[in-house]
Amino acid sequence: MDRRDFLKTCTAVAAASLASPSFFSSLVEAQEGKFKVYKKALLVDKNGNPIKPEDIDPRKQYIFFYPHRATPCLLTNLGKEVPPAKVKLSDGTSYNWQGGVGPKKSIVAYSAICSHQFSHPTPEFSFINYYPENIPSKIVKRGGVIQCCAHLSVFDPAQGAKVIDGPAPFPLTAIVLSYEDGKLYALGTLGKELFEDFFDMFKPDLRKLYRSTRKAKKLVDRCEVIEVEEYAKEVIRC
Amino acid sequence: MRKRSSGVDRRKLLAGSLSLIALSGVSTVIAKRGSLLPPPKGNRVVVLGGGYGGVTAAKYVKKEVPEADVILIEKNQLFVSCPLSNHYLVGLIDYGQLCFPYNRLHTKYGVKVVNDVVADIDLPKRRVYLSRGYIDYDYLILSPGIEYDYDSAPYFKEANWYYPGAFRPGSEHLYLRRLLEEFEGENIVFTVPKMPYRCPPAPYERAALVLSYIKENGLKAHMYFIDANEYPPVLRDGFMKAYEDFYRGMATYITGATIKDVDLGTRKIKTDKGEVRFDFGSLIPPMRAPKLLEDIGLIYGREKWVRVNPMTFETKVRNVFVIGDSCESYLPKSGYAANSQAKVVARIVASRIRGKEYGGELIQHGVCYAMVNLKSAIMLEVEYKYNIKTKEITKVLREDNTWKVSTAKRYYEWARGLWRDMFF
Repeated sequence: MDRRDFLKTCTAVAAASLASPSFFSSLVEAQEGKFKVYKKALLVDKNGNPIKPEDIDPRKQYIFFYPHRATPCLLTNLGKEVPPAKVKLSDGTSYNWQGGVGPKKSIVAYSAICSHQFSHPTPEFSFINYYPENIPSKIVKRGGVIQCCAHLSVFDPAQGAKVIDGPAPFPLTAIVLSYEDGKLYALGTLGKELFEDFFDMFKPDLRKLYRSTRKAKKLVDRCEVIEVEEYAKEVIRC
Repeated sequence: MRKRSSGVDRRKLLAGSLSLIALSGVSTVIAKRGSLLPPPKGNRVVVLGGGYGGVTAAKYVKKEVPEADVILIEKNQLFVSCPLSNHYLVGLIDYGQLCFPYNRLHTKYGVKVVNDVVADIDLPKRRVYLSRGYIDYDYLILSPGIEYDYDSAPYFKEANWYYPGAFRPGSEHLYLRRLLEEFEGENIVFTVPKMPYRCPPAPYERAALVLSYIKENGLKAHMYFIDANEYPPVLRDGFMKAYEDFYRGMATYITGATIKDVDLGTRKIKTDKGEVRFDFGSLIPPMRAPKLLEDIGLIYGREKWVRVNPMTFETKVRNVFVIGDSCESYLPKSGYAANSQAKVVARIVASRIRGKEYGGELIQHGVCYAMVNLKSAIMLEVEYKYNIKTKEITKVLREDNTWKVSTAKRYYEWARGLWRDMFF
């Protein structure tokens, strides 16, 4: 983290820490280089109203785009309190993942770009999905996981999306959320980011969807949350 | 017999060098040409072969150790994928979708790509001879794929001029597709060599796709599927059920058959289980690691593949690794397996360059898909986890033999993901 980024992080974290001071102070202290602050973005429903935690159904999966206009994230309600977790990487480093947010501390969000080979939900297909308890994964024979059906990487959303099966080399990038006055916000990312490669790999597709890569890269301050099943024509599970 | 410090027999090494130069038509003068590149500032890693294993190894070594000088040697200017080539044969995708340039490996990661033919490798000297000069290395990763083994089945050589095996990327697939498009009916013959060979499910997938194509195009044809194996070596239940469900009466499956001869004049294949006349076919010959690896002393006696440490892919020569189809490994020979093995080796090489041995878990992972008709597919996953410290190996094998349209869609994404991983 260079000096400018560090100062930017400190400023943003200082503001954000008003919401949860203990979390953010430990966050910035322990994970220099792993936590990146973006625009603070309000999560809203299809009508533009702030999404309420009770509207996030634990039996469903939701998508929103953050921190860029074209970078998809999965939002899920795990249905129970999710405590913070230490996420270890194969290079020996680690970071502290915040755990769930919301009144029941059960809501989590992750980048929906698979850390293995970049599969992500598109308007055509969603190969990477959250499997709620009522739709268990056929690979690990249980629900409560995020799984990519292209190469069978499986992640645990209750543990900072750590890899529990398959070839993914590291966890999904966590989206840092905050819950303030009944509203949910996205604040930044935690973990290894893949956005630069993502924009490079999918340039032609993103141009079709957003007219230009510049527009696809635009940072957002408001995120519409919809069900993945509404976004992708076909949700492929395995 | 006295061994050199590299573990390679000197006499065999010299004989190999000379015979290879003679065979390849490359003058001995070439071997005397100078170094092709200036000496590196740090460690140099030479990767031979720009297929799934080589491209992945070059990219990941450079990603892990940017200061290393990484050279990828490949004779072709473009990468052409064998995975998904059966899709191309029956018109499900265009040929261009299988092709990728190597330029991004250089512009994005700094891998030097050298388009040339390898004439020889001197393992004791740690030197690779190309047609234009030589390159010295500190680490060598060999990923040269397969050669057709015409020595063990000479009748295939001429037969393949007319009916390609199409198990090497390039013109064989283009020509086989043209033959299929021109085919107007009657007898088809497909042959499968005895395991091990490149991509075990591919011949069975090709048979299913061509039968599906014939059905779709209303051709009157019968396929004779001559298999040196008793059954499909992978996804057996899925293939057998699909053949039964979709192609009953359209094909004769001759198993455990040994081919004795191919008569191109009468278009007959003679086997120990009878004779088959054919009008069109794909004759897949037996395969082996390229002879270059035998010539430099990495293959013993009558063996066809390089023996390596099955979890680290290191040969008997330290810092020389063989990955992909050329080596004997736990994973089936396939592009995906080579991609996975390359990452293992990249990790080991990167650690050694940094002055320590890799001590973490090494994971080899294989996922294979196979079409059973023009719309549906089956798949399997196999994984080996090796803990270097405890020496424990854990294996996972999962097959999904129920054919599904959604599995075919995953198949495309599987391939696209691999190509992204290699070239972006």
